[in-house]
Amino acid sequence: MSGRTRVLAVALAAAATTLAACGGKERAAKSGGRTVDVKLTEAGCEPARLELAAGPVTFDVANSGADEVTEFEILDGSRIVGEVENVASGLRRSFSMTLEPGRYVTYCPGGTTAERGTLVVTGKPRSAAAASARVRASVAAYRRYVEQQTDLLVTRTRRLVAALRRGDVAAAKKSYVAARVPYESIEPVAESFGPLDPAIDAREGDVPAARWTGFHPIERLLWARNTTQGSDALAARLLADVVRLRRLARGVRLEPAAIANGSVELLGEVSKSKITGEEERYSHVDLVDFEANVRGAQAAFDSVRRLVAGKNEELAERIDARFDAVLRALEPYRRGSGFVSYLTLTRADTRRLSRAIDSLAEPLSEVAAIVVTAP
Amino acid sequence: MSRLTRGRFLAAGAAGAGAALGGVGIERALSGGNSAAEGVVPFYGEHQAGIATPAQERLHFAAFDVLDARPAQLRELLRAWADAAARMCAGQSVGETADPLRPPVDTGEAVGLRPARLTLTFGFGPSLFERLGLPRPEALRPLPRFPGDELEAERSDGDLAVQACADDPQVAFHAVRNLARIGRGQVAMRWSQLGFGRTSSTSRAQETPRNLMGFKDGTNNVKLEDRESLARHVWADEPAWLRGGTYMVTRRIRMLIEVWDRASLDDQERTIGRRKASGAPFGRTGEFDRVDLAATPADAHIRLAAPAENAGTRILRRGYSFTDGMDAELGQLDAGLFFVSFQRDPADFVRVQRRLAERDALNEYVKHTGSALFAVPRGVRPRGYVGDGLV
Repeated sequence: MSGRTRVLAVALAAAATTLAACGGKERAAKSGGRTVDVKLTEAGCEPARLELAAGPVTFDVANSGADEVTEFEILDGSRIVGEVENVASGLRRSFSMTLEPGRYVTYCPGGTTAERGTLVVTGKPRSAAAASARVRASVAAYRRYVEQQTDLLVTRTRRLVAALRRGDVAAAKKSYVAARVPYESIEPVAESFGPLDPAIDAREGDVPAARWTGFHPIERLLWARNTTQGSDALAARLLADVVRLRRLARGVRLEPAAIANGSVELLGEVSKSKITGEEERYSHVDLVDFEANVRGAQAAFDSVRRLVAGKNEELAERIDARFDAVLRALEPYRRGSGFVSYLTLTRADTRRLSRAIDSLAEPLSEVAAIVVTAP
Repeated sequence: MSRLTRGRFLAAGAAGAGAALGGVGIERALSGGNSAAEGVVPFYGEHQAGIATPAQERLHFAAFDVLDARPAQLRELLRAWADAAARMCAGQSVGETADPLRPPVDTGEAVGLRPARLTLTFGFGPSLFERLGLPRPEALRPLPRFPGDELEAERSDGDLAVQACADDPQVAFHAVRNLARIGRGQVAMRWSQLGFGRTSSTSRAQETPRNLMGFKDGTNNVKLEDRESLARHVWADEPAWLRGGTYMVTRRIRMLIEVWDRASLDDQERTIGRRKASGAPFGRTGEFDRVDLAATPADAHIRLAAPAENAGTRILRRGYSFTDGMDAELGQLDAGLFFVSFQRDPADFVRVQRRLAERDALNEYVKHTGSALFAVPRGVRPRGYVGDGLV
């Protein structure tokens, strides 16, 4: 988004959350959320016991003289679900979260008598609230995309495995590149299943050598050693993993903000490893992954676009235009069904592509906050 | 795949699933103290700050290419930049965020730091006028190529410039980073330079610092107390948007440190034209004594640069020592002077630099690797923006 609207948005956020008299327990903010005041004292958290209704809330944490206590955390068991750090004496900071019903521990490390307190959240879980038809349609659209891509991933991985078994290096290389595309287009979904993403997509050195599996050791055999020899176990494991991914992805919980964040993460992938040529370090087909990441991000954005357009049409249009700009920037490097080798790119080339990605990712990072509250 | 610890995709959905770590709203300035004590240099004023302001200790300079050359878009950006600049110079954050699903509006690294006399000075390069189809001031011609120039395109020119000066390097960095972020998509950084120590004094209250050659340089600089000299040599008066503005030249001057360090003291002093220890000109005893041209070698740096040898030309210098670490190709220090000067007409710089480039004994020890010229519009009024009246 443009700087101008950013600054305005900020002014509103600030108006909603700052400067109320201290000591008030809970107050309404203009946005409809609530603000709860918490003090850090030598004793710890004050108040030591909080009882709140479920839903969005902003904690406004003030430290008026406790030198040893500078942090406020909300723990669900041992998991931190909300926190603010470095609230030094004299400072005041806030953070927002959505509370789900349950019993939590408030934790102000370093406090003498009230280091730990209690937070009880009452009411109905927000997720049970009926999602509107538009939200459901958005989620359904992205779910279909994930299903398509995981189907393609399994089909193309089968083809790769068959070529490896036949010992056909040329066919295996071709199938390898084809199979990368659906994976890269939905990678954030795979990343949500813990060790599955590293099992499929770790690069050399990301994991101990003995546990290195997935696409990239196969890539190394094919390109660095020009052979299919020694790929049997790797191929079998890869196929089993992508089949498992497809099954898990069928049951993945999706909601619009997560889809929007996934879109931003895909562009983060481009910036981090594709534009630098680190992802496909033997085959140098990084631009294939680049395009797949961008197409995947676009599919994710398109599925929630109706929620954005209802609130900020200008933002939606800007994002559309910048997706187009990124894809246009890729065009000069297209060769047949693929792209030129990463090794042929000059510094000017990578800089141009990187700028296009940054220009797109910045407004895209505003989307999650919009769609989470969309009707 | 990125990092094994990632998996933020669904965690980010925690606003629905559970509870997410929220955006942190931050008050940057610490309580108490008046603005002078906290080191606030006002952003708004007749002239842009960062020119006739006592030179701060640190610099972060950035030049940008404009990607979206529609005037309305540029105007919007310049407004947003002015708003953000005014806030940051006052020691405030760019803005606050409390929305856990939104990236924080301010990046946060200046929280708790003092305003540190931050100034932000904006300039327009010749290429901006071409791009926007605006009438370019006659004086804003790209600088000519000087003998010995080894300019790198990646360290030169640019449509827009931001000079951030502060006494705290992190405050300067924060300012450039946040302005770049606000402009992302509309402008892209073309080059950037950090300066770690000032090499000029622009006030009589400041001592002349030493540059990386170990010499006092810029002793006879235009000082802000001398309003007449500023009016005569620094502030431009036309066109209207430039009245009270000026022209800024930047030159990245790499010093061949290893070679210089092998030169004898006598060689070094004859090259510069001053005594190394005292800073005194040849034939004199005090740093501020008048330069005795007859006693100074004909090719000494200060003699060639002296106003008396340049038809009275004076420019306001505001440079910084820099290092970008090591030159990996040569295994030598990559360091030198990031020269910044302000003058009412770039021709003044060109006149002096041409003489230096042709004859200066110092050329044996330096290499100009970057160069840029910008018009610096007049100061900004509250609710206005840089280039008001032009863009």
